[in-house]
Amino acid sequence: MSRFFRNAGDSDSSDSSDGEEELMSSGDEAPPSRPAPAPATKTAMDRFLVTAGDSSDSDSSDSESSDGSDGEGLDDDEPQQVVRIMSAQERRLVEMEATGKVMENALKINDWVAISNEFDKLVRMIQRQHNVSEPIPPFYVRTLISLESSVNNALAKEKDAKKKTNATNAKALTAMKQKIKKSVKEYETDVNKYNNDPEAFEREYAALVVREAPVGVAGAAPRVAAAGADGEAADTFTTVGKGGKAMQFSADGILKNLQAVQEARGKKNTDRAEQIRILERLLEVALTSYQRIRVLLALVSSRFDYNSSVATHMPIELWLSAQREVDQLVAIVATHPVYSIQEITEDYDELKERSPEDPEEKGGIVRIRGSIISFVDRLDDEFTKSLQNIDPHGTEYVDRLKDEKVLYCTICRAQAFYENTNQDEPLGRVIMRRLEHIYSKPDAVVQALEAAVDASEIKPAMRLAVQGTTSALIHALCVYLYKSGNSLLRTRAMLSHIYHHALHNDFHTARDMLLMSHLQESIHSADVATQILYNRTVVQLGLCAFRCGLIKEAQATLLDIFTTQRVKELLAQGVHTQRFQVLTPEQEKAEKQRQLPFHMHINTELLEAAFLVSSMLVEIPLLASIDSDELKRKAISKPFRRLLDFADRQVFTGPPESTRDHIMQASKALQDGEWEQCRDLVQSIKIWSLMPEAAAVKEMLGKRIQEQGLRTYLFTYAPHYSTLSLSLLSRTFSLPLRAVTSLVSKMIWNEELSASLDQSGGVVVFHRIELSRAQQLAQTIADKVGAMLEQNEKALDIKMGGTGGWGDRADGNKGEKRGEQTQERRGRGERTRGTRGGARGRGARFSQGLGNEMSSRAG
Amino acid sequence: MAEYDLTKRIMPYLDRHLSFPLLVHLSETTLFALEDVQLAQYELAKGTNMPDYAANLFSQIYPDKEVPTEFEEKRQNTLLTHQRLQDEAQAVLDVIENPDVAQALRQDKEQNLQYLKDNYNLTLDQITALYHFGQFQYSYGNYSGAADYLYHFRVLSTDNDLNTSAQWGKLASDILSGKWDAALQELDTLRESIDSRSLPGPALNQLHSRTWLLHWSLFVYFNHPAGRTLLLETFLSPVYLNTIQTSCPWVLRYLAAAAILSRAIPPGATPRVRNALREIIKVIQMEEYQYQDPITAFLKELYVEFDFEAAQRELGRAEQVLGDDFFLGEFSADFLDNARYLISEAYCRTHQKIDIRDLSERLNLSPDEGEKWIVNLIRESRMGADAKIDLDKNVIEIFRPAVPVYQTVIDKTRGLHLRTSGLGTAISRMGMGPAQGAAPSGEAAAVAVR
Repeated sequence: MSRFFRNAGDSDSSDSSDGEEELMSSGDEAPPSRPAPAPATKTAMDRFLVTAGDSSDSDSSDSESSDGSDGEGLDDDEPQQVVRIMSAQERRLVEMEATGKVMENALKINDWVAISNEFDKLVRMIQRQHNVSEPIPPFYVRTLISLESSVNNALAKEKDAKKKTNATNAKALTAMKQKIKKSVKEYETDVNKYNNDPEAFEREYAALVVREAPVGVAGAAPRVAAAGADGEAADTFTTVGKGGKAMQFSADGILKNLQAVQEARGKKNTDRAEQIRILERLLEVALTSYQRIRVLLALVSSRFDYNSSVATHMPIELWLSAQREVDQLVAIVATHPVYSIQEITEDYDELKERSPEDPEEKGGIVRIRGSIISFVDRLDDEFTKSLQNIDPHGTEYVDRLKDEKVLYCTICRAQAFYENTNQDEPLGRVIMRRLEHIYSKPDAVVQALEAAVDASEIKPAMRLAVQGTTSALIHALCVYLYKSGNSLLRTRAMLSHIYHHALHNDFHTARDMLLMSHLQESIHSADVATQILYNRTVVQLGLCAFRCGLIKEAQATLLDIFTTQRVKELLAQGVHTQRFQVLTPEQEKAEKQRQLPFHMHINTELLEAAFLVSSMLVEIPLLASIDSDELKRKAISKPFRRLLDFADRQVFTGPPESTRDHIMQASKALQDGEWEQCRDLVQSIKIWSLMPEAAAVKEMLGKRIQEQGLRTYLFTYAPHYSTLSLSLLSRTFSLPLRAVTSLVSKMIWNEELSASLDQSGGVVVFHRIELSRAQQLAQTIADKVGAMLEQNEKALDIKMGGTGGWGDRADGNKGEKRGEQTQERRGRGERTRGTRGGARGRGARFSQGLGNEMSSRAG
Repeated sequence: MAEYDLTKRIMPYLDRHLSFPLLVHLSETTLFALEDVQLAQYELAKGTNMPDYAANLFSQIYPDKEVPTEFEEKRQNTLLTHQRLQDEAQAVLDVIENPDVAQALRQDKEQNLQYLKDNYNLTLDQITALYHFGQFQYSYGNYSGAADYLYHFRVLSTDNDLNTSAQWGKLASDILSGKWDAALQELDTLRESIDSRSLPGPALNQLHSRTWLLHWSLFVYFNHPAGRTLLLETFLSPVYLNTIQTSCPWVLRYLAAAAILSRAIPPGATPRVRNALREIIKVIQMEEYQYQDPITAFLKELYVEFDFEAAQRELGRAEQVLGDDFFLGEFSADFLDNARYLISEAYCRTHQKIDIRDLSERLNLSPDEGEKWIVNLIRESRMGADAKIDLDKNVIEIFRPAVPVYQTVIDKTRGLHLRTSGLGTAISRMGMGPAQGAAPSGEAAAVAVR
């Protein structure tokens, strides 16, 4: 029974022989059918071989498991030490002695900073000792006393020879004095006892340790509840910190070890790497599905635990193994439907091996606590995190991106699993995850991902191969989410779906879906991630309109986000630096977490180019059509107007360099009626190459520039002509005569141009009336009064509580009609949102969740 | 032209019986093979309680085959059921038709029920027999009888679902028996009940009901004398316009046609009807990607592209489509007339000198006819004073004096007074508010301008 009474003095040989004994005895105990012993002995042998020369393995793991930071000191102090199997208590003692030694050394050279550090360490260790309710070792008391005296000496010395010690040392010395005082006070009784009779104290301690050894074991190697009376308890005792030995246990032992690991989880001084190693070994020996599931559950979570809060993301190898293990877990559960993993189960005995045949299990199904969906979520999150933190321009990023394929497969497997088991809630979540991986990707990428899914043996019902096209696949996924009850998922699915449509140039469908969803009204109350998705969707919709040649729509859609001047921030593609407000670290961190990984970014320069070009096409003819300065202040697109004014003020303009320069000079050329120059400038912008089907877009832009050039020309130069030949116009702007006639007719019909066509002569005849100043003013004031009334009505509307409108409350027919009209006006605004009508005042409607959140948090 | 036929799209939103006239119409046109249409008719008739009709159709399709006996059986069944239901319903009818009872009945349905129960031992179940009998009559084609019974049922019953169903039934019966006034009335009440209904179910139900209503109402609106204006009024109200845009864009054809047909705005029309064309063009543009036919294309070419040649081409095609359309067939000539008018109006407004021959060509008319038409146009329309025909050069010259500035100012400020006083009353009703300060100033400004 010597092995129970182990302490610091235990020799190596006895220990290893212990190990041997155990090996043999457990081999005897094990059921004969078990295949494990073979590899077990082998590894055990390895271990013995290793001991001869290389101690670092077990040694360093020892020290790591107790406290990583002072491992080195230990190695230095006891280089001769070979494998030592020590209890946690022993280890602590050894450490303490090591620190004591360091302190002594430091004392010799009068280095109080080092002493102070070491002492802190020591105090921490003692504290831990205290926590596991072990007695104070005499060593500590001894150190305390000696330190106290040396501190006093040093102080006295210092008084004599002032200024000799440097400042930090002196400070450390005084700090030491305080600490010592405090500690001495704390352990006053012990110190007194020790002062009286050191030997008696030590004896007492030894006795205590001996008595408490079994209890201490239970404390160190987590309590093995009821089971661990004698032999078993010792087993666990030796194994923790030595994964290799876990092999020796029967199936029963696995569960115990598992529990041990689980209890150590989250404690401050547990060595996570070691735990993972133990669990890996456990997985190797696990026999039944039940055991495998349990071990996998623990293993995956401990892999996720591995990360300290400081590190930005999980190490990639770890992530990969976690991913494989989740796959494994899903495979096991999918092939053995009798095991069910649930987040909420009835309590069960952690240590008992359970099987579906057991009469205690209801309906022949073993329910195990755990959650696959949370693992999948976590995997995905960690993947995103790692992408956020890897330099997007390096090869590492690309390598990492390749892992998306396996992740996508995992997600699909999980989906298949949930489909088969009819678990709606997690199925919705997992489908959302899947959708998020594909909604913003071009078809080719989705096909590649899906091909990988098809190759795996567990497949979900919704697949590219089944659905035919990516759009159909996304449609199927979204429809599932629409039908599910979760409104958040529904919203996100909707937005992803719209995004996908927009990406595929299906502007009308995307627009209709966005308007029908009425998301723009409620998006402000959504969470930040959803708001970001909304912003992305709207921006993509704008780009889509641009690609389709719907310039006005593109301009109106993109205007909102550009007026905020925080494009990058709103799209979560960069942190906004605020001029007057400094972010707290937490805010900054939250902000960083929200950032999208680089490969999902929408190119902001391309976005700006699209916006500015469409603004140019809308704004320049408008500018030309306005002749009074009064009206000139009204701008459709403020950001564009600002840039244009700035460009106008420039005394000297060099050749264009940036995208903006190009567009500004193009705008000027357009104003002068030089449509060819304008077209060339716009088409020479390099960023277009990032746009799919760039050639078609350029061609479209050329055509639009021709048309708008014609309009601008007519507006600008109409006052100088009384008639203008249509054929001349058609030649100047290289447009077919019919197109010119149609354009001019349209302008006349819309009363933009006071002119008429003379068919026989083929000319436009201008009727221009010069307004007198008074007339002009009268018109302006009439407009303003009208606007004011409108404002008043609106103000009253808001005051009366919006929805019904105050007109409704008026008696009689007239009131009713009014109400209907206001409703109609509103309805029309809704419908024409995509066009210019609804654009005004919508700037505020763009979702600026980030800003809101920030101010609310700051406040 | 078959691709522009809407029967296939409309039928899913119609009742079985309402579809018959459409199919009969189709069999008269040459769009589809006669056999196919007959087959469709037969399939449709099989599901009704009109075995004779079905048998008749059967023998038409398969002249050399024996008529299956199932029709005979069905006929017997139908007769039996009819007898049974009639007996049940007659009991109720006897009571109701009693003048005393008619006197005693009041507005309150609950009270009526109580009264009937107390005095004549009439229960709710018996009243429901009216509904069943009405429905049955409808199913074998006795539409006016069905309308009667359903009317009585609705007066008495308190069951909401059955009442709605009876309403739809009554509407269908009125349509099929050609009582357009009654149908119009029925349509209005039905519309009201749909719009006001706050069903617990999803909003989708309401959308469905509205879609159905839109399709059913086509029967009424294109047969009732004042129907076109009413159609514009209904279809252009925001909710119905939204319904058209979301679930049945093909109805745009009827909307567009109705707008063109009611070009000469009847007196007392609401602003909605007056601005119908403008509104419709906007919608047509917006929905272009999902629905297009020669009629909508005509409007688009004319008012969006101002391509008169294309408009003329579309008009030619629209004429054909119209001729084949069940609802619009009768209005073909009228439509053409109005469309020509629209073209020439647009043409005159954008041109100063117009070659008469050219214009006649645009209107698909011979030069002589064209000249006559144009002269009539000038005489009828408001531009009579501004347009002169120069026969020597064969052109029309149009002088349009610019609108005086004061006129535009007056136009702009015209509504202000009314709206401001509306604001004032609203505020006084509210009895408070800082808005009070702002409103009178608006009024004052309006007065000052005038």
